[in-house]
Amino acid sequence: MKLIKCIVRPNKVDEVKDALEKIGISGMTVTEVRGHGKQKGHTAIYRGKEYNVSLLPKMQIEVVVADTVVEDAIKAVVQSARTGEIGDGRVFVLPVEQTYRIRTGEKDSL
Amino acid sequence: MPDPIGPAGADATSFSQSALSPAAALDEARRGLCDEILRGQGGRAALGRFSDRFDGILRQLIAAAPRIQQPLTVVAIGGYGRRQLCLHSDIDLLLLFGGHLGDAEERVLRAILHPLWDLGLVVGHQVREIEEFGRLEVDNPEFLMALVDARLVGGDRELFDRFEDAFHHAGTHAHVIGALNTLIDSRHARFNDTLYQLEPDVKEAPGALRDLTAMRWIAALTDPSLLRRGPEESASLDDAEDFLLRVRSILHLESKRNHNQLGHSLQEKAADVLGYPGTLPQQRVERLMSDYFRHARVVMRGLAWTRKAAPVPVGPNLGRTSDGIGFIDLHRAAAEPKTWLAAFQGAIDGDCPVSDATLACIRQHAGHFEVENFFPTSEERAALLKFLRPAPGLYARLSEMHDCGLLGRMFPPFQAITYRVVRDFFHKYTVDEHTLLTIRNLERLITDETPDRQRFASLLWDLTAPELLVLALLLHDVGKWRDDDHHLESVRMARDMFQRLGLAPEQRDAVEFLIANHLAMSQVAFRRDTEDPDIVRQFAELVGVEERLRMLCLMTLADVEAVSLETLTPWRAELLWRLFVDTYNQLTHGYGDEPIDAGQAGSGELLAGRPPELSEADIAHFLQGLPRRYLQLFTRDAIYGHVRLSRDIRPDEVHLSVEQKGNAWELTVVTLDKPFLFSNISGVLASFGMDILRGHAMTNPNGLVLDVFQFTDQERFLELNPGAIKQMFGVLNDVVSGRVSVADRLQGRARSLFHRRPVHVGSVVRSDNTSSTRYTIIDIIAADALGLLYRISRVMSLNGCDVDLVLIATEGHRAIDVFHITKAGRKLSDTDQLELTAALQQMLEEGYETD
Repeated sequence: MKLIKCIVRPNKVDEVKDALEKIGISGMTVTEVRGHGKQKGHTAIYRGKEYNVSLLPKMQIEVVVADTVVEDAIKAVVQSARTGEIGDGRVFVLPVEQTYRIRTGEKDSL
Repeated sequence: MPDPIGPAGADATSFSQSALSPAAALDEARRGLCDEILRGQGGRAALGRFSDRFDGILRQLIAAAPRIQQPLTVVAIGGYGRRQLCLHSDIDLLLLFGGHLGDAEERVLRAILHPLWDLGLVVGHQVREIEEFGRLEVDNPEFLMALVDARLVGGDRELFDRFEDAFHHAGTHAHVIGALNTLIDSRHARFNDTLYQLEPDVKEAPGALRDLTAMRWIAALTDPSLLRRGPEESASLDDAEDFLLRVRSILHLESKRNHNQLGHSLQEKAADVLGYPGTLPQQRVERLMSDYFRHARVVMRGLAWTRKAAPVPVGPNLGRTSDGIGFIDLHRAAAEPKTWLAAFQGAIDGDCPVSDATLACIRQHAGHFEVENFFPTSEERAALLKFLRPAPGLYARLSEMHDCGLLGRMFPPFQAITYRVVRDFFHKYTVDEHTLLTIRNLERLITDETPDRQRFASLLWDLTAPELLVLALLLHDVGKWRDDDHHLESVRMARDMFQRLGLAPEQRDAVEFLIANHLAMSQVAFRRDTEDPDIVRQFAELVGVEERLRMLCLMTLADVEAVSLETLTPWRAELLWRLFVDTYNQLTHGYGDEPIDAGQAGSGELLAGRPPELSEADIAHFLQGLPRRYLQLFTRDAIYGHVRLSRDIRPDEVHLSVEQKGNAWELTVVTLDKPFLFSNISGVLASFGMDILRGHAMTNPNGLVLDVFQFTDQERFLELNPGAIKQMFGVLNDVVSGRVSVADRLQGRARSLFHRRPVHVGSVVRSDNTSSTRYTIIDIIAADALGLLYRISRVMSLNGCDVDLVLIATEGHRAIDVFHITKAGRKLSDTDQLELTAALQQMLEEGYETD
C-alpha cells in the first residue's frame, strides 16, 4: 500500500478528484494548505502596500492505494493537475504499513 | 399687522373689560385676586382667572399698538403661560415677529412694553424673529424651558403655529430635558437635597412648585401618560399644586412683592388664612407645615419617578428608556407605519435594542400594511438607505424587524425565504438567517481589528454607497424559494423592490449587478487559476470599475462566511484577497490598453437613447479612444452631458460644468490637450482652496481631454458667494489659455496652505512599465494635502511627460493617485523612470514648490 500525497493548484481539485474516481479511487482526504516549492510566489501590491505572497494557497489530496494502482493513480493526478506552468504542484508517494477501520477495529487490506 | 388678536386666542370675557384703562383693569383684577387669597382660595382657579384678566389687558395694548406689515404674535411663557400668574409674579412674554426687526417693529414693542412698565410690572420679555428658532439657543436653557408653557395671547396664530412647529422636535426636547435635569439637581443641592425645610421656599425648594412644573414639563416633552402612570394619583398632584399656590398667593399678598419663602413670621398668617384649626398659633402652624410636607413628599415622589421613567426623546413619538428605543404613544404609532423604521434607526444610533412593547405593537399591526405605507415619500426611502449603512447593531435590528414580521412586509421578496430550508452539504442555516448573517459579517468588519479582516474593512471604508451593498445582500438569495438558478430569480424579485423603493438608475444597476454576480468572485477565486492573467482580465472585465470590485469582494466574503462557521477559512480569505488585489491592479493599471472602439456594445445603447440635440457623430467622436471603463464609470445622462460639453471645442477653450453632490462638488472639464494642462487645472482648484478627493482624467486620441474632479470646499467659497462659480470658471479659462499663470495665483496660498504639514504618511512612488502596453504607470501614495495633485503633475510636466490618464482617490489622510503617462508619445525609458520617480520622491519629501 502507498499513501499518495498530491499538492495541486486549488482550481485543479475537482479535476483530480474526477480523474481518480475514474480509475476507481473514491476515498480521499482534501486539505487546504499553503506553501511553496521552486515557485517562490510574487509580491502583490495594493495601494502602495506590499503583500507577501511567498506562501501560496494550494490543495493537498491524500489517497491510500494498493501497490498495483499506484502508477495509474500518479498518472491520473499528473495529467489532471498539469497546466505546464510553474506552480502545478508535487506528488509524493509514501509506503503505508497497515491500515485499520476505526468503526470495527478490523485490519484493512486494500 | 394682520388680525391683532388671534381668533382662537381671544377670551370674550376679558376682552369686554377692555373698556377700562389698563391701570384700572389691573387694579380690578388684583382686587379680585386679593379677595380670593384672603378667603384661602388663591390657588389654581383664582390664578387662572387672574391670568385671563391680564390677557385682556395685554390684548388691549396689542390692539392699540401701531400697525406693521409683518405678523407679530404675543406669547405668554413660563408661569404666565401656565395661567399661574401670582399677584406679584414677573410677566414672562415672548414677542415674536415674522420677519426682521426695524423701526416700525421697535415702535410696536414700545407700545406694548412701556405701558406694562408704567404699571409697575416686572416684565421678563424676549423678542425674537421666527427665523431664530431655526437654531437651538443652547446657552439659554431657562428660556427654552419657559417656552414649553408657551400660550398664544394675541397676534398672529399662524406665526404662533410656526413657532410651535420649530420648537417642538426631538432634538430640542432632549436638550431641554437634559438642561432641566441639571437645573433640578443644582437647585436641590442649594437646599441640601431635602424637602424638610422649616422655612421652605414654596417655589424653589425640593418638592415645591418648580418641581411640580418640572415633572409636568418632562411628561409634556416625552410621554404625557407619565402623569397618569406614576406612583401618585393625578388628583394628589393637583391638590399639592393648589395648596402650594394658595400659600404662595398669601406670601405675595402679605409681603407685597414676589416673595416665596414661607418663613416663621408668615406661617402663622398663612395658617390663619387657610383656616387651620387649633387654639394656639403653634398648633395651627404645625398643621399647616404638616400639610406642606405631605404635599411636598407627593411632588418629590412623583418627580423622582417621572425622571426615572421618562423616555429620552430621540425623534417624533420616539423615546429611549431602560428597555430601549420605543414609541411613546403606541396607539398613534400603530397607525403610522412610515415612522417605524425610525425606531430601529434610533436603536442603532443609541446602541440599544428596540423596546419589547414597540416590537409587540409592530408585530400586531405589520400585517395591515404594504411597502408603500412604509416608504410613502422620498424622505422615508432615503431614510431606509441610510438605515442600511453598515453599522454595529444593524444585524440585531434587522433580526428584530424580521422577528416581528416587519422585514417581510417592507421587503416582500424576503418573505419568500422566511424559514426556507435548502438542503446541501454546506449551508448550516435557513436562507433568511444566512442572509441576515451576511450583513452581520459585514458589520463585524467595522470592529474586527485582526490584520486579516482589516484589509477587507479598508474596502468598506472606501465604498461611496455601502448601503447598496447591504441592500444587495438582503436580496441576494430571495430567489432561493426556487430550487434552480436562484440568482436570476433573485434579480427578478429584486427589480420589483427597486421600483417600489424609487432607486436611481445607477443605484439599481449596482444592486442588480451584485445580486446577479454574487457567486462570480468565489467561483473565480476558489475554482479558477487566478495566476492566469487572462482569468483576472476576464474577471476585471466583468466588474468594470473599482467600486463594484470592492462591493463584490465584500459581498463574497460576507456570503461565504455566512454559510457555516467553517466555510471561510484563512486559506479562502487569502485566495479572495489575492483575486481582489490582482483585479484591482488590472482595473487601475490595465484600462488604458482597452479603448472604446466603434463597435463597442455600450456605445450602441448610448446612440439609441441619445437626446435629440446630440447626433450619432457627436457621441461616436467623443467616445472613440476613451478607455472602455469610461462607460461603466458614468451614467448615460452624465455621458450625454460630457458630449454636450465637448461639442465645438476650440484650442485654448475650456468647457465646464459644476454641481454639488452631497458634501462635495463635482467639476467636469472638457478641453483640448496641451502641456501642463492637468497641473494647471488642479492648480486652479488648489488656488481656490479646493481639496480634490476623487477624480478621473482621460484623453482620447483626438487630444480631447475629459477631467472630472470631486472636491470639498472647506471654506464654503462656492456656496456662500453667488458669483463664485463664474469666477472659478473665468480663472480656469484664463489659466488654460495661458492668459494667467497658475503659479502667480498660488503665491498667495503658498505660505498659508501648502506649508501646512500634512498628517505623516510614508510616501510611495512606484513606476510600472509592464502592466500597460501603451503607458508608463506611476502609482503615488502620499499624505493628502491641498495642491498635491498640482505639485505631482507639475513635476511630471517639468520632466517632459504627458499625463494621459489619471485616477484620483483618497483614503483617510492618504491620497492614492495612479497616473498613466507617456513621453513623446511613448512609454518612459528606464532612465526617464528613475529621474521622474526621484524628482517626485524629492518633491513629496521636501518640496512645497509652487513654481
